[in-house]
Amino acid sequence: MLNTLTNTKQVLIIIGAFVLFQVEIKAQSAFDSLNLKKAKHYFKTTIFLDSYSKANQKFLKQKETNASNDSIIDRRLGSFGVKQFNLGFYTPIYTRTYYNSDSTVYSNTHYLLTGNFLSMRPTFDSIKDHTLLKYGIGLRIIQNTGKKGVWFIDIQPFTTTDITTKTPNGYVRMANSFIYSHNFSQKFNMRFGLTKSFMWGNRFFLPYLGLRIGKLDGVNFSMQIPKNISLNIPINDKIRFSIFSKPQGGMYSFLNNDSLYYFRPEAKYFNFTHYEILAGIRLDLVFSKNISGYISSGSSTRSNITFYSMEKNSRRPNVPYKLFFYEKSLSPTGFFNFGFVCRFGKTKSYNNDKNMYDVFDINNVNGVGDVNTGPGNTEIPIKKSIKQSKLNLEDIQDLIDVTDQ
Amino acid sequence: MKVLKNIIIILTVLLCLAPSKSIAQREKIDDLRATFIAKHLDLSSGESEKFWPIYNELNDKRKAIKKNYRQNLKSYSPSSSDKEAEDLINLENKSATAEAELLKNYNDKLKLVIGAKKLAKLKVLEEEFKLEVLKAQKEK
Repeated sequence: MLNTLTNTKQVLIIIGAFVLFQVEIKAQSAFDSLNLKKAKHYFKTTIFLDSYSKANQKFLKQKETNASNDSIIDRRLGSFGVKQFNLGFYTPIYTRTYYNSDSTVYSNTHYLLTGNFLSMRPTFDSIKDHTLLKYGIGLRIIQNTGKKGVWFIDIQPFTTTDITTKTPNGYVRMANSFIYSHNFSQKFNMRFGLTKSFMWGNRFFLPYLGLRIGKLDGVNFSMQIPKNISLNIPINDKIRFSIFSKPQGGMYSFLNNDSLYYFRPEAKYFNFTHYEILAGIRLDLVFSKNISGYISSGSSTRSNITFYSMEKNSRRPNVPYKLFFYEKSLSPTGFFNFGFVCRFGKTKSYNNDKNMYDVFDINNVNGVGDVNTGPGNTEIPIKKSIKQSKLNLEDIQDLIDVTDQ
Repeated sequence: MKVLKNIIIILTVLLCLAPSKSIAQREKIDDLRATFIAKHLDLSSGESEKFWPIYNELNDKRKAIKKNYRQNLKSYSPSSSDKEAEDLINLENKSATAEAELLKNYNDKLKLVIGAKKLAKLKVLEEEFKLEVLKAQKEK
């Protein structure tokens, strides 16, 4: 008797599940039969331009009894400044959205194609400016579990080359990140992971530790070690202000056409590394949902440049690959940075979806192409009241029903 | 100087390629509705986490139905043929059915997440939002 009852219950559950499934299919079928054009992605194709400059700093003369490599090359260079221009983009190539088994949790996975083209011009007094390029195409996968977590995987191969003369030179490198972000609440988030980056002047495998206090669409303090530390204050939906500190730098190929590597004149090129810690303020201006810009200024500290030849070092026994033949640390100076961001396309809605806000944030904090600059979180909307908004008749058309009295 | 010149050229090209105003404007009303509902619906953080993705998806689908119907309505003129008139009426019927089915389907999902009481409150808030917007327009 008990067995029969259990069997009947199981059959009823199966029939119930089948009926529910049929309802789901039927409910979708009328919608699907309309063959409507729908947005496929949550990310808009985003192109951003960034210009950074730092004035030349004269090298202080040092009293030395014996002429060292450093003092000889110091005299050759005289000063150091930076002019940098970066054009970057990311575009969604595939987005998978689905419900978890209980049909109440909505999760999604985003595959983004990323790319950048960076032109870096270190300016020295006594030698002709070199134009160093760093460019590449990469892939990002961001998985929003729909509950508390977001997974982030970034693969960024890039090439560096010096195009000052036609001499072939350059290296291929890879920067990667693997991060897990956990939203304990809307106001508290932590991130853990690993990153391989060159922005600290050389190849480093670093742990990633992130902490955010405050909502992403409000005032928040974000510490994303080793990428940046910032206090973000949205003034209104058009203006966002932030105070930040972040590293900037990279490893580049540098031609030896000026014979800076004077005791190895046969070397055609060597490695040039540079890093600095920027501390300053940034103002983001949102002109529309798709166009924004920013200006930023502050102080460049702990600036450091090095020259070394990996090729030559690797031929010497018991010598580390990055044994510098020249190193210079510079005193703090000012910098100026501005950028322009343009977004294209229509996306699925993500209003008040805090996990999606975290997806956007993790994508923006981790600059494309291992360049520590980005378009900012301008796709996260800042709340605005109905009275503050400028609506036209087309906007409110959907709100009026013919049956309304 | 050369860099600045290149930046100006790229900015000009991007501005020319920039998307039309209409897409951005359509998104504006959704932002306002979401802010209004979030303020008055009293969702817990667990409910909010599950509610908004489903609610946004429902709104996207409803908007797509309405937009499609309106586009067909705009392209219809008194000189259109009988067949075109028939097609338009059929489309309206299909759109109404699709919207009703969507609502039923998503109401079931939303009820699982926030319960019947809050779902009913949501419906009230949606109506109140319409009135608020119309009132604000009138004041302007």
